Amino acid sequence: MSETTASPGTITLHAGELDAAITGIEGRLAAWAAETGTALAALSAKVTGTAVDKLIRPVVEELVRTPDGYVAGAGFLANAGLLGPERSYIAWWQGEELEHVDALANFSPNSISRYVKSEWFRIPVETGQAHVTGPYVDFLCTDEYVLTFTHPVFCRPDGPVAGIVGMDVTVQRLERGAMPVLRRIGERATLVNSDGRAIVSAASDIAAGDLAAAEEGCSVYAVGRTFRIWSGATAL
Amino acid sequence: MLLTPQGASRSLAAVFTPIKSRGLVDEVCGRIEQAVETGLLTSGQRLPNETELAAALGVSAVTAREALSQLRTSGIIRTARGRNGGSFIADDVLPSRERALDQLRELTRLQISDLGLHYQAIAAACAGVAARRSDAADMAILRSFIPTADADPLHWRLALSEFLLEVAAIARSARLARELIRLQADLGTLTLLPCADSGYRATTAVLLEEVAAAVEFHQPSAAEAAVKALVTATTDWLLNEQSKRY
Repeated sequence: MSETTASPGTITLHAGELDAAITGIEGRLAAWAAETGTALAALSAKVTGTAVDKLIRPVVEELVRTPDGYVAGAGFLANAGLLGPERSYIAWWQGEELEHVDALANFSPNSISRYVKSEWFRIPVETGQAHVTGPYVDFLCTDEYVLTFTHPVFCRPDGPVAGIVGMDVTVQRLERGAMPVLRRIGERATLVNSDGRAIVSAASDIAAGDLAAAEEGCSVYAVGRTFRIWSGATAL
Repeated sequence: MLLTPQGASRSLAAVFTPIKSRGLVDEVCGRIEQAVETGLLTSGQRLPNETELAAALGVSAVTAREALSQLRTSGIIRTARGRNGGSFIADDVLPSRERALDQLRELTRLQISDLGLHYQAIAAACAGVAARRSDAADMAILRSFIPTADADPLHWRLALSEFLLEVAAIARSARLARELIRLQADLGTLTLLPCADSGYRATTAVLLEEVAAAVEFHQPSAAEAAVKALVTATTDWLLNEQSKRY
């Protein structure tokens, strides 16, 4: 371990701050998925686009306008069957101005093909579990380098997946929160996703998006469900 | 580095160039044209009414009405009266050979080759970074965009642009990706023309494989070279076609 690395106790403390932030996002998303499922179930058979918007938009507004919050955009995407067979519906807004993402898609008869195969939609629908996609360049919404946290929504515990709720966290925003933490941990401390791809790194030769490896014997700290901090990382 | 007086005046000139903002109406029209171009809205499909369109895009009803009127004038939508009336996407707006030829006629050789150089610079930069950052999951997606030999010209054209966008996605640079999207919009329907040529399809099929292999095996310079060759194949084809028309 290099001299610049802090003591294990301090590291755990610092890593804990970042873990709390990410776990907070994941927890808020899970709660939102549950609330949305209950509210959709209460609408019984009359699920319309307008009803979905009315349900989702206030939450998105609260999320994206939280001062120093991490959420750049958020929303709900319907699975086929909720509004009608093969009908898609996108209720997603981004930015402080609450720009309605892909608004025209809701008028298209074939727009479901725009998202059913996307990792952030497909995996939570297939597994029934929360998922995080990225970091990746999001062509559909932000055109930014983002992480998308998604969670399936159920109207009945044993029913089909009604849709997903999700939140976009830009790597840029995450960097502002994570960098001070990483620097306190060590000069090569790096936050990586489950593939070992760097999200934020204190090392100057590791950029967001690069694949990295943990240095031998370095400490590993879990951040949220799937991320890790390596106290020391090497560029691949 | 010291700025030469000439260099300084050039950058100042750029600062004080008037900003030409497209009006809101043009912006709404642009979105609908883009939706047609990407196949999201298709011929014969009913468009939302003024109120729905205004609400969806966050503009005033007046802006939505003007946009619909402008789209009607340019032949992108048609309006039917009566009980089943409304605005519909016109029947002949699909990227057509006629439109593409019109576009080619309007361009000079200088414009085509300059556009080609810009496209090449951005796409090659994406390919170089993608070759450093690719993983197995990326490769499966990238290869899925390589079209089969019997794909029709429309499909081939879409596959080529999606393939290069995927290379940009693998590079994971938002700026490069946005620039590539902008350049593809500038090229417009033009790229439909070479895709109707089986010789061009055969050449590009080989090049797509070369790009994919270089990205997969982490060879940045080979990936850059193959992407440059891919763009050159398109520009050369267009320049050749254009010179036949003089």
